[in-house]
Parts: sequence; structure tokens; C-alpha cells
Amino acid sequence: MKTNTSGPSAPRRSDTQYDASSITILSGLEAVRQNPGMYIGSTDQAGLHQLVYELVDNAIDESHAGFCSHISVVLDKDGSCSVEDDGRGIPVDIHPSEGCPACEVVLTKLHAGGKFKQHSYQYTAGIHGVGLSCLNALSDSLLLEVWRDGWRYRQTYACGRVTGPLTKVGETDKRGTRITFRPDPRIFDENLSFSYETLARRLQELSFLHPGVHISFDDQRSGKMEEFQYDSGIPGFIQHLNRAATVLHPQPVAIHIHQPGLDVEIAMQWTAGYGENISSYVNSINTVYGGTHVSGLKTALTRAVNRYAAESGLLHAENGEKISTFDILEGLTCVLSVQMAAPSFEGQTKTRVTNRELKTIIDDAVDRELLRILRADSRLAAQVVTRALDATRARLAARRASERVRIQSVDTLVSKEVYQKQFGIRSKNWHQSAVWIANDDLLAEHVKHLGHDHYPKMLDVCCGSGVVGASFKGKVGTMFGLDITPEMIQLSRTRLDHVSQGTVYELPFKDNAFDLVVNREVLHLLPNPERPVSEIFRVLRPGGQFIVGQILPFGPEDAAWMYRVFKKKQPLIFNMFQEDDFRELLLGAGFVDLKMSEYNLWESIDVWIDTHETTTLHRHEIRELFHHAPQEVREVHPFEILPSGEIRDLWRWCVFSVRKPA
Amino acid sequence: MDELHGLLTHDKLKQAFRAEAGTVLRYLYFARIADIEGFPDVAQLFRDLAESGICNADGHLDFLKRIGDPDTDLPIGETDQNLIAAISSTTREQTELYPLLAQTAANEGLLDIANWFETMTKTKKAHEEKLKKSLAQVNLALRNEMELGSAPDGVGRG
Repeated sequence: MKTNTSGPSAPRRSDTQYDASSITILSGLEAVRQNPGMYIGSTDQAGLHQLVYELVDNAIDESHAGFCSHISVVLDKDGSCSVEDDGRGIPVDIHPSEGCPACEVVLTKLHAGGKFKQHSYQYTAGIHGVGLSCLNALSDSLLLEVWRDGWRYRQTYACGRVTGPLTKVGETDKRGTRITFRPDPRIFDENLSFSYETLARRLQELSFLHPGVHISFDDQRSGKMEEFQYDSGIPGFIQHLNRAATVLHPQPVAIHIHQPGLDVEIAMQWTAGYGENISSYVNSINTVYGGTHVSGLKTALTRAVNRYAAESGLLHAENGEKISTFDILEGLTCVLSVQMAAPSFEGQTKTRVTNRELKTIIDDAVDRELLRILRADSRLAAQVVTRALDATRARLAARRASERVRIQSVDTLVSKEVYQKQFGIRSKNWHQSAVWIANDDLLAEHVKHLGHDHYPKMLDVCCGSGVVGASFKGKVGTMFGLDITPEMIQLSRTRLDHVSQGTVYELPFKDNAFDLVVNREVLHLLPNPERPVSEIFRVLRPGGQFIVGQILPFGPEDAAWMYRVFKKKQPLIFNMFQEDDFRELLLGAGFVDLKMSEYNLWESIDVWIDTHETTTLHRHEIRELFHHAPQEVREVHPFEILPSGEIRDLWRWCVFSVRKPA
Repeated sequence: MDELHGLLTHDKLKQAFRAEAGTVLRYLYFARIADIEGFPDVAQLFRDLAESGICNADGHLDFLKRIGDPDTDLPIGETDQNLIAAISSTTREQTELYPLLAQTAANEGLLDIANWFETMTKTKKAHEEKLKKSLAQVNLALRNEMELGSAPDGVGRG
């Protein structure tokens, strides 16, 4: 029996035959197992996920052609994964030149598929055609099930080779394809497994990009299940991305471009944040490194906003005043999705698009449309322009401030103003500005060092919000705090017993006043850190303990690279301590009995760099530093770049305990 | 002795090498900024020119190696010689150059830059160790081949 149902909002169908004659063969498959990285990018977890994406992308292509409305992804307990769609089913008739079923050709021949002839699919992600055969070559077992023309078919494969003929196993009124594969442990490390979070995020992203398609995800290893179906499309995607942000205007700005062979959808919404968050897709592939489409968008945004600002009198263009691209992109969340017939990408994992015509088309259309939208909605326009002008002013002010700081530091090595600036800026959303600040395990790592003193009198120096000191609660006596900024003093008073205002260069306490001093991630920010350390030594009683946590490089190999990353995030950083430097700093002040423990913590860079301490250029440069980290750094310093472009860095926290000699 | 030896042209070649090497690194830096600012064509131009710059600098080195390493004046050309020259300049950088630069920056009150130079000192020390380890391996391989009676790839060493 044959069914002809398709998704409720699925796009129009390609009206041509999709059968064995649609499959074109370009070459053989031998090299894939020998050099898998060339085809799927790598054989780490990202490569593993790439296998799933190849299958899901094929199903998405089928839905785009108008034949598929449901996709199901299942992760099995045995390490295999299956992807099923309710599309037309891979053709099973005999291929005219190969003399075997077309599905077998698709699964065993490199560069074979239905996508080399333009009429089978209008837009497709899998244009290189290496997908299915690569996946097969890299799987130690693969089961193909096809429901087509009233019959259910089944065929098995191993390592890219057929292990049994295509067999008809019964009648059916179902339609579609299911491929169940197990990644070959000889290719992929046995310790690797599919990440639920990563796959779920990608499937959710796809369902936003393809409204109407229903995707179910079932992880039988953990019992977790999710269903994704969004009819809100790209504007809905923006609202999802901005769900935790303070937005400047309630409705995302939406722009559509339709041309023969090209569909572009753009949605934008500005937030009160500092980061720029442009997610771009070409035929559903996340172009993490952007390309001509993103360039066109940025150019158009800059031109349209400047033109509107000038004509509405907000900007004095005649005096050469101009809002820079950076300032316009600050706080922008944007999703740009392109569907096109012949995209050209850089590299097999397709992370940058290079079609030159895209830049001009998107540039012209966005410029025209955005200008029209801004002219029609003066309230929105004022918000967007004011936001960008504020960013310009803040950037210029920050530059002037850092110039002032530089000049003063020649005169006096310990500038109170530097110190004030360093810590005077951290009150807003302090606990949300990085993972580490309120991480319980990291705090516990500090408490672990506590000696056996009977309820010691404690000082949390440069206490910030007071979380470090408060983590000792119940194990210490009176909890004192010290900070320089009134906001932080107010905040830390909710956690500590007594908080004073003052600087760590001249602690406002008597000699031998405390049994315990605690401090975390402060000394690298201070010029001449020897002086605060000797002040801490002074206020401790003989035998008293100092517990201090600090992020340190893994070795001399990543120190210079980390210096650059941190300096771009926080221009007022003064020291990138290495482990021996830090030991020397403590022992040099007279402390003894040094103990150190390490705690490694994953930190999302995107959260950490979303701050007004840095600039858009620096935020980009930080990402670049991760993308182009030298091999020497990669060997010692773990970090990962997720398919979404998000960067997660492993921070090496070292917690030291020392004592003042008794 | 090579005809270049002691001539002004030798110095000029060293200057040209330094200038070209600087150009390559500056252009690669500029290319990254052009990418970020949304000028992919400019970025590509900088990268293409940097690529040519590498070829140009290599050309200068082709002449310079007749006399020696432009940085240390030690003989270069073959891998063990190159490693020795690299070790020599790294040693100088970590024992003389960067400590001196760090002191200068500290004297001028630029403590963050002083710390940057101190970081470099340690990086260079780590590099020196890696290079030394590699030299030991190369020497061992060369000795083994000498004992077997043939130079690597059958090429005579002179």
C-alpha cells in the first residue's frame, strides 16, 4: 500500500521522480576508513556527532522537498544510534549502471546520492554526498530499513560493506527510512559516547529552522526524551535564545528575502547584554565561522543604522561622526538562515560559506528593509540607535580611562584609581557573570584546606559578594569581610558578619588580628601583589592560616596564550601567575607550610566575556584565540568548541594553604 | 669562505629578512581583524600577501644560510645545525633578552607588560628544553646511521 501524506506545513514538492536513475556515482569509498578526519572533520566526539547530523540532515532535506514531517532520533544502550524519517524511503530499485539496489549504491559508494542532480532536491545540506557511505564505512554495523511502495525492506552492512542482500520482509502502509548504526570502536575511541546535550541542542535548532517538522529524541541510555516542534520559526528561535536576557524591544525584527534559488530569513533582537550573538545557517548547516552572508548582513546593518541616525538628527554625520559596526552589534542576537541551491563551503565540515553573490544580495536587501522598518517604527529605531550610540560613548570613555591609568602608573606603582576601577565594576549580575563564582565544589575546595583551629576568626579579603567567606560558615567564628566598593559591601553584608571598606594594600586592621584569611582570584589583578600578600601576613596571628584560590596556566606552554585571553577580557590584569610564581609570592612573604590542591572547572567563555570590561573586538579576538590556539597550547590546556560555536574552557583552579610561622 | 662574508649585502639581507618576517606576522594579525570587522576580501588579501611574504623571507634565508643564521650567526642548513641555532637564540632570549625587557618595563612602571615579558621568559625556557630534547634524538639517529655506514637518505654531509 502506498501513502502520500506529507507534513502539514511542509514546503512544495520537487515534482520529479526520485528513483535509481536519480543516483549518480562519482567514485569509490576506500580512503574513508584510512583517513576519516578528512570526511567528518575528526574522530573525536565532534566526529561522532557528525555521523548523526549526516542522517538528520538527509531527513531535513527530505522534509524540505515536501515528503517528510517527522524525524525520530534514538540513542540505544549498546552505543548505536538510529534515525528514522517518514519520507519517501531511499530508492530500492536496481541502479541502471551499477546493477544493484540504489540504496546499496548510496551506502557503499563515495559521492553517490540523489543530490548531484539538481532536480531531486532544491536545497540540500548534504551536497558532498559523502554522508551515507562515510557513515557506513565508519560503522562496525549498520541496519538499513526502508518502507517504500507498500513493502518493508531490510539490508545489513558492516564497515561499509554489504553483509546480506536487500530483502523484502513484508507488506506495509508505512513510508520512510530508518538507519541504525554503531560507530566503529576501531575508528572512534571506545570511551567516546554521544552527548545528549549537544545532540538535543542541534535537534532543537533544526526544528526552529524548519517550522512544522516534528523531531523526537529518545536517549534510552538515560531515559531522557524530548520532542521538538516549533511553528514560530526564526523569530521564535530568537526569543528562545534571548529568554534569559533583558531585551530592548519585545518583537524581533524580521526580514525575508525571496529570489529564484534563494530564500533568506533573518530575525534580530537587541538586548541589554554586551555580547554579539549571530547564528548563521546555510541549508541548515551552522556556519560557525560565518562567511559572505554574515559579512553582507553586518555591512548592511552598519549602513542602515548610520543612515537612519543621520537623517533623524541623532548623529552628526556632517562632523564625521559615525557609529561603528561593533557598536551596532553590541547586544545583538540574530539568526540568519539561508536556503540556496548551490552553496560553496570552506572545508568538509562546512563552517564558512563563500558564495560571493550572497554578500551583495543580503547587503542590498537588509539595508533597504531595515531602513524601511526603522523609518516606520520610530520607537524601535530610537532604541536601536541610542543603544549603539551609548556603546560608542562607552568605548571612547573606556579608551580614555585606560590611557589615564597608563600615565598614572608611571608616577605611582599602586594607583588607588586602578584598584577602584578594578573592583568598582563588578556589582551588576556578579554571580551570573561566570560559572566559577558561585560553584559549590570550587568553594568546597577552599574549605577543605581549613586547619583544626577552634572556630577561627576569619577575614575574607577583597570579599566581593562574600561567597568565599560564607562557604566557611559553621566552621569558623566571626566572619569579617573587606571590599572597596559600596555595592559589594552591601551585598556581602548579607553573607558575612562584619564588612569594612578599605584596600588590601593597607588593611584597616591591627597586626595579628585574625586566625584565618581567605581570598580568591584577586592577586592577578593587582600591581605589586607582594604588598597585599605582606599585609595579609601582617594581620594574621603567628600560626594563622591563609587560604587562597587562583586560576593558573597548566604550564609555560599555555601561559602566554592565557595571558592574551585574560588581558583581552580584563584590560586591567597585571599578572599571569604560573605555579612557581605563585608559590614564590607566598613563600617570599614569609609564609610556610605550603599545601596546594587543584580543581578543574569547565567555564563557558561566552558567558564570561559578556561584560562591559571588554570590547567587541576583544570578544572576537578571544574566540579567535581559541579557534587558532597553537598545538603547544592544545596539548596541555583542554577546551572545546561546540557545534553551536559556544566555547567551553577548562580552568585550572589551584587552591593554596599557607601559615604564618608560629 | 663565501663571497657574501663581511660585505654590506650580508647585513642588508639580514635587515630584509627581519622586515619581511615582521610583515608576514603583521599581515596575519591584520587579516584576523579584517575578518572580525566583516571585510573578508581584505582579510584574504592580507593572507595572500603574507603567504608571499613567507616565500620572500625564505628567499632571503636561502642566501643568508650560506653564511649562517641571521639571528645567531651560527651555521644553519641541516636539521642538527638548525636545532643548535634555534637553541642558541632561545637561550639568549630567556636568559638575556626577555629578563632585560621585563626590567625595562618594570622601571617604567608598566607592570602588566613586565609580567608579559616574564611569561615569555618561561615560555622560551620551555621551548629551549623541547628543542634540546629534539636535538638529542636527532644526534642519536645520526650516530646510529653513521655506525651503519650511511648518512640519512644517502646524502653526504659536509
